[in-house]
Amino acid sequence: MTELRNVIVFTVGAARYAVELRWVREVVSLGFVTNVPTAPPALGGVCNLHGAILPVLDVNVLLDGVPGLPARQGDGALVIEAEGIVCALRVDQVDHVASLYETAGAVTDATGRPLVLLDPARLIRRALELVTALAEHPT
Amino acid sequence: MSDGEFDFDADELAMLRQLFRSEAQDALETVTARLLAGGSARPSAETLTEMMRVTHTLKGAAGTVGLPAMVDLSHRLESALAALGRDPSVWKAETADRMVEVIDGLREYLDHPTEPGADAAAAELRTQIDHIARPNRRAETEPPAFVEPPPEPVLDSTSDPASDATSDTGPLPEPKAWLHVEPERVDALMSSAGELLFDRTRIERRVQLLRTLARDLARTRQTLHEAIVDETTARPAKSLLVEAENALAGQAALLSQTTAALLDEIEALRRTIGEVQRGLTRIRMESARSLMAHAARTLRALRRATGVTVELRTVGEATEFDKAVAEHLVDPITQLLRNAVAHGVEPPEERAAHGKPPVATITIRARQDANALVLEVSDDGRGIDTAALSERLVATGRWSAARARLASDADVLAALLDTGISVRGEADELAGRGVGIGLVRQTIAKLGGEVKVSSTPGKGTTFTLRLPLSTALALAMLFKVDGQVYAIPNIHVVDTTLVEPHATTATVRHDVLPVLRLDQLLGHGAATDKKPGIVVSFAGKSLVCTVDKIVGAREIIIKPLGPLLAPLTLYAAATISGSGKVQLILDPAQLVRRTHPDAPVTSLGDPGSVPVVLAGRALVVDDSRAIREAMTSMLGSEGWIVDVAEDGARALQMTRQLRYDLVVTDLEMPALGGFELIARLRKDERFRTTPVVIITSRASPEHRRRARELGVRALVAKPITRRKLLEALAAR
Repeated sequence: MTELRNVIVFTVGAARYAVELRWVREVVSLGFVTNVPTAPPALGGVCNLHGAILPVLDVNVLLDGVPGLPARQGDGALVIEAEGIVCALRVDQVDHVASLYETAGAVTDATGRPLVLLDPARLIRRALELVTALAEHPT
Repeated sequence: MSDGEFDFDADELAMLRQLFRSEAQDALETVTARLLAGGSARPSAETLTEMMRVTHTLKGAAGTVGLPAMVDLSHRLESALAALGRDPSVWKAETADRMVEVIDGLREYLDHPTEPGADAAAAELRTQIDHIARPNRRAETEPPAFVEPPPEPVLDSTSDPASDATSDTGPLPEPKAWLHVEPERVDALMSSAGELLFDRTRIERRVQLLRTLARDLARTRQTLHEAIVDETTARPAKSLLVEAENALAGQAALLSQTTAALLDEIEALRRTIGEVQRGLTRIRMESARSLMAHAARTLRALRRATGVTVELRTVGEATEFDKAVAEHLVDPITQLLRNAVAHGVEPPEERAAHGKPPVATITIRARQDANALVLEVSDDGRGIDTAALSERLVATGRWSAARARLASDADVLAALLDTGISVRGEADELAGRGVGIGLVRQTIAKLGGEVKVSSTPGKGTTFTLRLPLSTALALAMLFKVDGQVYAIPNIHVVDTTLVEPHATTATVRHDVLPVLRLDQLLGHGAATDKKPGIVVSFAGKSLVCTVDKIVGAREIIIKPLGPLLAPLTLYAAATISGSGKVQLILDPAQLVRRTHPDAPVTSLGDPGSVPVVLAGRALVVDDSRAIREAMTSMLGSEGWIVDVAEDGARALQMTRQLRYDLVVTDLEMPALGGFELIARLRKDERFRTTPVVIITSRASPEHRRRARELGVRALVAKPITRRKLLEALAAR
């Protein structure tokens, strides 16, 4: 069993996720979310974060291809940075900063409840792929 | 006095007056700064002399540009300064304030010296100026430099439009903001702009080369086709295949060379554009000094109006701001100062009771950190009473009682910015007028920045304005689709119109233009109603975009979309509205491509300057470098890709590798002469009919005869002119 310290645990819909704290720049409450027509569903919109344009991603689409709830003003979000890209993941609830335990590939928290450890770099690469694919084959 | 009495025509005069206004504003600003530096103490004799010098210069310049009232006012101000210098007892405690007031009045007057109502303002200023040095005496003793009839007070400036037309100098165009820039900054920019031209020429040449290559490839394909169908009896398929293979080898090599060169040239272009941008940014910068001087004046006025004594402390005056940003900061700073005086600063007794110095201090700090310009306005007053503020939020119905209970102090302070609510029970004069704190936040948000407030009870309040380091401002046409606001760069918007339901074209000024249903592309617009249309023109192609509602042209800040959104080419960038919402800016090039799918990806600039016909690839052979360069330039501007060789031998070598559509050669050259070169080329199948032009200083009949034999298209006598060359190329 290995221990992974300093992860932030959050929920999106019914699913529980975790991401290492080192990827997280900020936990914010989203400002007005501007819809981006012609963008893939993984891109839930864009927000103003300290005067910069912040893309808001839908974790559910990126992982399962199934859209979650649309991002709205006031929703919680984790601002993450990886692959030179800063973006936000819409979350329903941020639980706490905790340690995770991995046994034979299964990740659980201290109470033994399972959750999914996210790799932000992979998520962002996936998002970039989806955006690029759509741009190259516009409908 | 009419314009006819000046040495200038109306345009020149208008321009000179603009220059004068700019110069005078600066001069008066200097005077104010000197006055403010001294507080209420009498300025030194040197300072007074300097101030007199400035006003004297002003007087002379005002006369030159035909503003007699300004001459008079400068003269009076100069006299007042002289009186102050002569007799120290004339200086009173309030004299500095009076002078600042007068100078502010003069500066305001200077903005509209020829408008109706200006005369009344000048009369008012005259009285004020005369009052400065002689508060206890009457003003009639000294004759003015210019005697004017006492002006009638202008009650309604619109009542008699004819008087506008016949007023002494006629209306001037709206005053434009003038930039004062050090010449070196402009020179640097000019050289960068020159470099841009070189970059463009280099890239255009490569593009032309690529076009020629595309044509060559089509020919090669034709050769291959002939080999495959084997219809031509003239040559065996094998020979055709060999020829095609050879051609392909050359073309592939050329393609990879060109691509590599193009990448280098684009990199060079990127660097030059970066320099231009940096140069423009430097031109637009100004120090925080004038902003701080303005704040000092505002505070003096507030002090007089309220009787509240406040000292101003400024830190970081050398910090540079984008001029456009600095202009927009005046109102927010004024509001924050008002706010501090009205709400922050306690009466002296209260301060004393808390062990504070009796005179309150407001500090304005400007600084630049890693990624932002920061402006802080702080007071050492009582701080913001978050409990009282929370109560007011509930009392005014903005917050529910439950929300107020849950809110932290930070939440309450943030609400102050959102609503601009006042802490004091009753709206007094200061808090009730001008832009509110909420408007401060809006103004800063429009500039792409943000406002934060922090407060410690009993210690004071600090408003922190963070602004982006560089601000790219642009005019954009804003419109709505599905309730969301979008923008198109206004430079590409030529008109607006109304589009019939289901129409696929619209007629705008006799042109039939394709319609792009943006309301459907960006939203769920139904094509059943007439829709407003924005006429967009890009690279010579126009179209009409249907939208739900046209908002109008606005100045916006351009924000990059970032790498994740960059592949969505429909959007060029984004902007942030006053309320902090992101608005997407559409790329006109992409809109045009949707209705003109065949249009080239990029335009090579002004269509008029681009060669109409792509000529092909030319080889220039001459042992003079000057002539090679001149020919390259002339042919290049006619659309030719030009290679050069210094003699016939080198040229022959080059023709083995590439085929040319034109050969221009000198006759007398080392290694291999012109006629010899042509004779050998004619033996090569590929050059049997290629047009050849001879450039020579000796066109004897013998030369002409030989040229005819070799199938030379024309002989051009040196010196070569563009016209001669064009005639030769046109010859058949």
